[in-house]
Amino acid sequence: MSSSTRLLLTLAIGAALIFASSFIDELHVYYGAEIAVYLIAISSIVLLTGFSGQLSLGHGALMAIGAYSCILSYNGWHLPLVGALIVGALTTAFAGYILGFAAARLRGPYLAGATLALAVGIPSLANQFHVLGGETGLSFDVGDIPQWVTNSWFVKAGGQDYTSYKWYFLIAVSCALPTIWVLHNFLHGASGRRFKAMRSHPAAASLIGINIARSKVLAFTASSAVAGLAGGLFALVISTEPNSFTLSLSFLLVTGAVLSGISNLYGSIIGAMVLVAIPELSASVATHLGNSEKVIANLPGVITSLLLILTVLILPNGAHWKPSKS
Amino acid sequence: MSNFLQTLLIGVSSGSIYALMALALVLVWRSTRVVNFAQAGQAIISTYIGYEANFHLHNYWESVVVAVVAGAILGAAVEGLVMRPLAKRIRGTAATDIAPVIATLGVLGLIRSLAGLIWGNTFVQYPSPLSAKGYTIGKTVIQFSPQSAAIVVGTALVMLAFALLFNYTRLGLALRASSFQPEISRLAGIKVDRIRLVGWACAGAAGAVAGALVTPTSYLSPNSLDLLLVSGFVAAVIGGLDSLVGAGVGGLILGVGFAFILEYIGASLTFLSGFIILIFVLLVKPAGIMGKRGGRSA
Repeated sequence: MSSSTRLLLTLAIGAALIFASSFIDELHVYYGAEIAVYLIAISSIVLLTGFSGQLSLGHGALMAIGAYSCILSYNGWHLPLVGALIVGALTTAFAGYILGFAAARLRGPYLAGATLALAVGIPSLANQFHVLGGETGLSFDVGDIPQWVTNSWFVKAGGQDYTSYKWYFLIAVSCALPTIWVLHNFLHGASGRRFKAMRSHPAAASLIGINIARSKVLAFTASSAVAGLAGGLFALVISTEPNSFTLSLSFLLVTGAVLSGISNLYGSIIGAMVLVAIPELSASVATHLGNSEKVIANLPGVITSLLLILTVLILPNGAHWKPSKS
Repeated sequence: MSNFLQTLLIGVSSGSIYALMALALVLVWRSTRVVNFAQAGQAIISTYIGYEANFHLHNYWESVVVAVVAGAILGAAVEGLVMRPLAKRIRGTAATDIAPVIATLGVLGLIRSLAGLIWGNTFVQYPSPLSAKGYTIGKTVIQFSPQSAAIVVGTALVMLAFALLFNYTRLGLALRASSFQPEISRLAGIKVDRIRLVGWACAGAAGAVAGALVTPTSYLSPNSLDLLLVSGFVAAVIGGLDSLVGAGVGGLILGVGFAFILEYIGASLTFLSGFIILIFVLLVKPAGIMGKRGGRSA
């Protein structure tokens, strides 16, 4: 399939999803929006871990950077939403670029530990500086849905109220699909091949002239940009509280990426659906178990952790990782 | 008593806890070349078990012993049930660096959620007979309590015990040999898998001591040892991740550093300064960072 065919297909899928959303009830459309946000976030981990072989436990913190810079630029400079999301992605890319230099020198567990420290450190900053809004986070009000959306024929076709959750879905899908398209081209082009070579055999990769350090920094920067975009959307759709960008979010993203098959970009959709489905599933299980507060709060964690452990044990190389012949 | 000396004392007592945690990480790293991110989680479970024991036995010191035994069993269980099967599957594949890290994270997540499921996400007290009120010197009350003293002494005893174990016993020799040259140790008749299990159990016990000693100074909840998760790792890396002495020194350096940052700069920056110290150490003193195996003695 050529790149332009894929672009057309992507646009067609997007149009179909948005058209369909005007017929579906609000709650399910909202789940769709959540899936789109997690899809972007997981694809950033797939790029970094699955392709370039660097493990980050700090992507929750990078998403926080994206979210806060997006909101601050939206509220402060009155940028359009698209502009604010781009500012969020670029700011996070810059942070990732700096972090990438440190990361490129670190291996497996050391990189994991360093990014872990980042994931614990960054969200506590929000409580330190007044401008970051403290524990409740900043308010992110994108205002009314534009007239051209509510008046367009594909929205009216559904005959239902076009609520703000559907508007969020439209925004998230219009960000997610192009992101996947760009990432596909990026990862199946020269950069992606360099990443794969670097991951599976660093020595051979550097012998054929690949600059390992530069490739690692590039991977970290690109992954951070995607994570920053996901952060802005996360703030819009899910939550702006600093407490939702903690270590748990980073773990959740790694879990999603592992469930996706770690180096499978399109598998991200499965990972994203599982991440959204688990809290809902466990809520209904908790209802059967008598609705105790302990169960409601902790069952999702038990399920995701068990899934993570089992997936790593059964498919330690991911769906596509082949044994290297060293 | 001067502010400076007080801060130093606080640093030494919290640094002792970091040192114990770092010691646990080092023990696991030496026996299986894995950084066990679940270590703080294991300590949570063993501390909760200690808390239950204290509730029934009404004796803090006996409950610490129960916690240590539970921690050792838990450590061996994690190695035997998760890490060893995984290690056998990933030998010689591209995932050797990453899969174990992800697996320990999974164990951490599982332990935290299970602790919440069993004991709830509320704060509970795990009191010790020693006072957590500071000693009075002259007319001022300093922030160094009998419990802090117990932490420092307990850490020193554990360190000493491990030093004796590693240097003067046959088991210590086997532990050293199988981490240094597993294949040759196997030829020499050492049951390497069993020795690794012992390494993980020792680490679990050390982590359990840390949890049981530090918890009476504050409270216990499924997330209450989160700081130890990061600071134990940072302390271990400062010490080179491979040396028991390094773990002790790294813990003390970090504890004192944190105490001064807390005293003179601000509370919210403590976590982030952990990250900065870690990056600084990793970039400036790369010994052990690039995976060089030279110079690894007991």
